[in-house]
Amino acid sequence: MSETILKLDNVTKVYPNGTVANRDINMEFEKGEIHSIVGENGAGKSTLMKVIFGIERPSSGSVTYKGEETNFSSSMDAIKAGIGMVHQHFMLIPSFSIVDNIILGDEPTSGIFIDKKEAARRCQELSDKYNFELDVNAKVSTLSVAKRQKVEILKTLYRNAELIILDEPTSVLTPQETDKLFDQLRSFKEQGHTILFISHKLEEVKKISDKISVIRNGVSKGTYLNEDLSMQQLTNLIIGRDLDSDMNAYKTHEDFHNEKALVIKDLYMERNGKPVLDHMSFAVKNGEILGIAGVEGNGQQELVRCITGLEETAYTGDIEICGNRVNELNIKGRRDLGMAYIPEDRMGDGIAGSLPISDNLISTYYDRDDINNKVFMNSKAIKETAENLVKTFAVKTKTIDAAVNSLSGGNIQKVVVAREYNTNSKFMIAEQPTHGIDIGSEEFVHHKLIEMRNAGAGILLVSANLNEVMSLSDRIIVMFDGQIAGYFPNAKDVSESELGMYMLGAKHQTPQEIGGALND
Amino acid sequence: MTDNKNSKYSKNYKLSISNPKLFDAIKMTIAILIALAITFVILCLISKDPVNAIKTILFGPLSKKRYIGAVIESFISFAFAGLAAGVLFKAGGFNLGAEGIFIITGAVVAWIAASPITTSPILHPVLCYLGAMLVGGILMILPSFLKAKFGTNEMVVSLMSNSIYAAITAYIVRNWISTAQRGSVSSKDYLPTARIGYLYEPLRISACFILLIVVTIVLYLVMNKTKLGYQMRIAGTNPKFAEYSGVSAFRLSITTAVIAGVLCGMGSTTQLLTQTSYYTPAQSLVGIGFSGMLLSMLGKNNPIGIVIAAFFIKYLEQGAAVLYFVDGAVPSEIVSIVEGIVIMLISSQYFLRRLRERQLLKEGLEEHAE
Repeated sequence: MSETILKLDNVTKVYPNGTVANRDINMEFEKGEIHSIVGENGAGKSTLMKVIFGIERPSSGSVTYKGEETNFSSSMDAIKAGIGMVHQHFMLIPSFSIVDNIILGDEPTSGIFIDKKEAARRCQELSDKYNFELDVNAKVSTLSVAKRQKVEILKTLYRNAELIILDEPTSVLTPQETDKLFDQLRSFKEQGHTILFISHKLEEVKKISDKISVIRNGVSKGTYLNEDLSMQQLTNLIIGRDLDSDMNAYKTHEDFHNEKALVIKDLYMERNGKPVLDHMSFAVKNGEILGIAGVEGNGQQELVRCITGLEETAYTGDIEICGNRVNELNIKGRRDLGMAYIPEDRMGDGIAGSLPISDNLISTYYDRDDINNKVFMNSKAIKETAENLVKTFAVKTKTIDAAVNSLSGGNIQKVVVAREYNTNSKFMIAEQPTHGIDIGSEEFVHHKLIEMRNAGAGILLVSANLNEVMSLSDRIIVMFDGQIAGYFPNAKDVSESELGMYMLGAKHQTPQEIGGALND
Repeated sequence: MTDNKNSKYSKNYKLSISNPKLFDAIKMTIAILIALAITFVILCLISKDPVNAIKTILFGPLSKKRYIGAVIESFISFAFAGLAAGVLFKAGGFNLGAEGIFIITGAVVAWIAASPITTSPILHPVLCYLGAMLVGGILMILPSFLKAKFGTNEMVVSLMSNSIYAAITAYIVRNWISTAQRGSVSSKDYLPTARIGYLYEPLRISACFILLIVVTIVLYLVMNKTKLGYQMRIAGTNPKFAEYSGVSAFRLSITTAVIAGVLCGMGSTTQLLTQTSYYTPAQSLVGIGFSGMLLSMLGKNNPIGIVIAAFFIKYLEQGAAVLYFVDGAVPSEIVSIVEGIVIMLISSQYFLRRLRERQLLKEGLEEHAE
């Protein structure tokens, strides 16, 4: 009936490290539809997008765009052909204005000069046409995350993109902002644009899509009309089995005598003369998960760096881990007191990519007695430890000697979590513990966190994923602008939209209410 | 895929180029063959008898015991320089200061060797070694220390320290231990007790050879079996990960610098006490420290690989020297071409990549089909 804009025929992509990311993928995209691609992270969605957008070349198979086989040698060719992509991590220069960012690489000129006026006029026109509510002369650095995303989308429209790929666009947005984005996407659709939407959040996929394609393990599991597919079926297609989402069912409630794993008192830190942590006080008790919700960039990273001892900027206030003041200790000293840490930047901080899995599984306790003899490290014990962890955490690998970066994102995260789990710590910081990993691994990581909680560890969960915070936490703190904007002593009693109001700064509790975060 | 499915690791040991170690070995072999082929082409242009010439380069050193003896004697100090660089690079350091340490520890050796502090022919060389190792170990710290305390750039400081140490050495030799016998700036002759004798003279095997083997084995064990080696591995692969894991970057860089400095001291002592009878700062040890870095590249920071590479290069140099002896038309520098090409090829990320990718593609698909 309607015309096919993009067609994939037997697309196969094998990476140099031997990973088969896509295998014989056949898909068709029709003009003017919102088509979601879902699947676990190792499943190969991102690779498929890169193939479509010309960043990667398929090892075999073909991509047909508007009836012609594409042979993009770079994303520039894709852009010229009318494909736009909004990456998960924005590609904007903060010190440039919106116009400058949009025209970068495709500047309109008059003579030898850039015709700024014309550029600004066209950008503003586009922005108004699609109802973006942007002042195109504003600097990107002054914009909120949601607005920056709009700039990215505007950039693709400026280049006349007919097919727009959105890679995890909602991961940085609050629920309210997500709704707005969806309205916008629908209006694009009405104007004849085709939207390729990639997300882990299945509710959102259900809400926005016309069609849904599922990829599992690099193989296409078919394309379905949204209305033909229930949530249950979708989950089944993605991971090949049912998933249980109610984490509360796994929680046990033992009394750990109100002992505190972490106490933060009046933590204050400035950067460039602006407070990034503004007199925060709270405590994490043993046997509980304290969730910190908030839009990224509201001081969560700085907070975690202060607690772990990696922060180099001076701060004031007290940090106590397992009853000891740790302000003067480095990360090693804090780890020795019983701190474990799942870092947000898994590839940058959490692993040494080219080293074997076994080396990566012991890094935070390599000097422990059980894996060392007098002079040499006990390679037999290391092997046993690593093999046990790989087994318990269901890391998908042939051998513990494989380089850790040959694994998929979810499996790498399992390695990181397995290692921190094995430190037997009383206090765990889980920073975006499931960011960008597949649902199966996510569920697994959640279970392990609850297991640690039940065994009496205090867990500080910092996550931009509201569902995660709400389903795991016992108590919740919302951070806004370096402050505790809201404190909820009972995570079960708070709704998503309520949290959203605090995350956006629309609501702020009184100091008495917030005080409970430390004293409850 | 006829693998025995019960043994879950059997596949890993299959001989295939997806095994990185084997791939490296194949890459190295092919690189050497290409380098030799190019050398042969050049020999065709300049030599009347190119076949014989390449034969001489390859097998000349084996034709006489004293030729192979010369290789054995000269490769030891070279190998120490390679080991020093290997230790630094393995831990991710950017310290390029081995050259300066070689030169300045040479002054220490010359001073002790010319001083009548003992009459024992065993104790005297041992004291030379200890002196050079001590001074080398201490001075090598400078770039790491300045980096930690003042945030300076390790590479810049280490390169500058090379010049500074060379200048200090020239000052020491000229003003404290020089002799009027020779025109150039050089030290007094070493006392006979300081010279290192041979254990097996025809092949010029001395105690230094045994020292090298022991040191190589110890280093291999340290780098692969100890906590220090583990720290070096993770810091060398991802310094942020090492920091996150609680490895002190400062302590590690100081430790590896000390070890490297000690190795440089061993190298300079070996070189001077076996191959010279007095120390000429502008000549005796120049270039060894820098060549060591190339060796660590050839040997992939693996102590055993480094020692083999050192032997290989000195062997080729000897082959070229023999060739020059029989065919004056071919300068012995011809061997630098081999060295250069091999280093270029094995350090290239792209060399043979297609071959490897094709193999991986095949294996990846097979595996997937299982």
